[in-house]
Amino acid sequence: MSAPPLGPRLGGRILGAVLAGALILASPRISFAQVAANELARQTLGLPYWHVFIAYAVVWLLIAGWVISIARRLSEIEKRLGKD
Amino acid sequence: MKSHVATEAAGGGIRWLGGGMSMLGLALMILLHWEVFFWVNTESTMGVVQRIFYVHVPAAWVGVYLAFGIVALCSAVYLWLGDERADMAAVAAAEGGMVFTTIVLLTGPLWGKIAWGTYWTWDPRLTSTLLLWFIYLGYFIVRGSTDNSERGRRFSAVVGIVGALDLPLIHLSVTWFRSLHPQPVVLKPEKPTLDPDMLMTLMTGLLAFTALFLGLIVFRYGLERSRWNLELRTRRTGAA
Repeated sequence: MSAPPLGPRLGGRILGAVLAGALILASPRISFAQVAANELARQTLGLPYWHVFIAYAVVWLLIAGWVISIARRLSEIEKRLGKD
Repeated sequence: MKSHVATEAAGGGIRWLGGGMSMLGLALMILLHWEVFFWVNTESTMGVVQRIFYVHVPAAWVGVYLAFGIVALCSAVYLWLGDERADMAAVAAAEGGMVFTTIVLLTGPLWGKIAWGTYWTWDPRLTSTLLLWFIYLGYFIVRGSTDNSERGRRFSAVVGIVGALDLPLIHLSVTWFRSLHPQPVVLKPEKPTLDPDMLMTLMTGLLAFTALFLGLIVFRYGLERSRWNLELRTRRTGAA
């Protein structure tokens, strides 16, 4: 089964939309945003990336440290309670 | 001395409650990491380093407001009614609060170095948060400073109540004083000024940290209760 023809009106609309899209993409504002986005993408390889990594590691290390500390103290006291 | 503390019989309930909350917190933490590293958009001015925001702000909510709020409230109840359970909840929240405030004080400078060009500045928000960390430290020092454990508990409860005066100072410092620290983006009279995906990631972080904190302080409360039971047994053995 073949697709029905688009017709002159719809074809014109699609062509218009494509042209408008191309015009928007070529505008200086969008080009600037693309440069900014590229800079942000490059930034992930530098110092900020390491700062994010260290910050998340600090969160996990401190929470894990607290959990281990509670578990140790709890088992020690329960042992003493068991002995008595 | 009259004891309001139940015996070890309720220990199982505490473990279930603490374990359930902690597991929920852990699951939300995993979801938070997926959102932060694979889903949320990169902020346009600060770039990648802004992703520290999603742990820095939830840690501040928990360590500064929630934990110290519990410490102050339970300390007041302890001084008023003499209920040891309130003191146990206060000391559990204080320990957790100190851990989460340490997270705030370590993650903030890592963000600040990229955003401001310096790890630390004596900005009102930073200074008042550091002051809170020292108040937490003082709470534990005062508690252990006397051989009479009941007196230590009462002294630390006073520190817990007086220290709460720092909370409004921390929150309003960015509006009262000229500050490098960003203004609130969620807790303000108008609606939040965050993008929807950033707001959703932040909410996940807030829920994850809250559930994890509450789960772990339930375990910490259980530890304090076991300690109390041991102290009671030792006293009874000594008396007999």
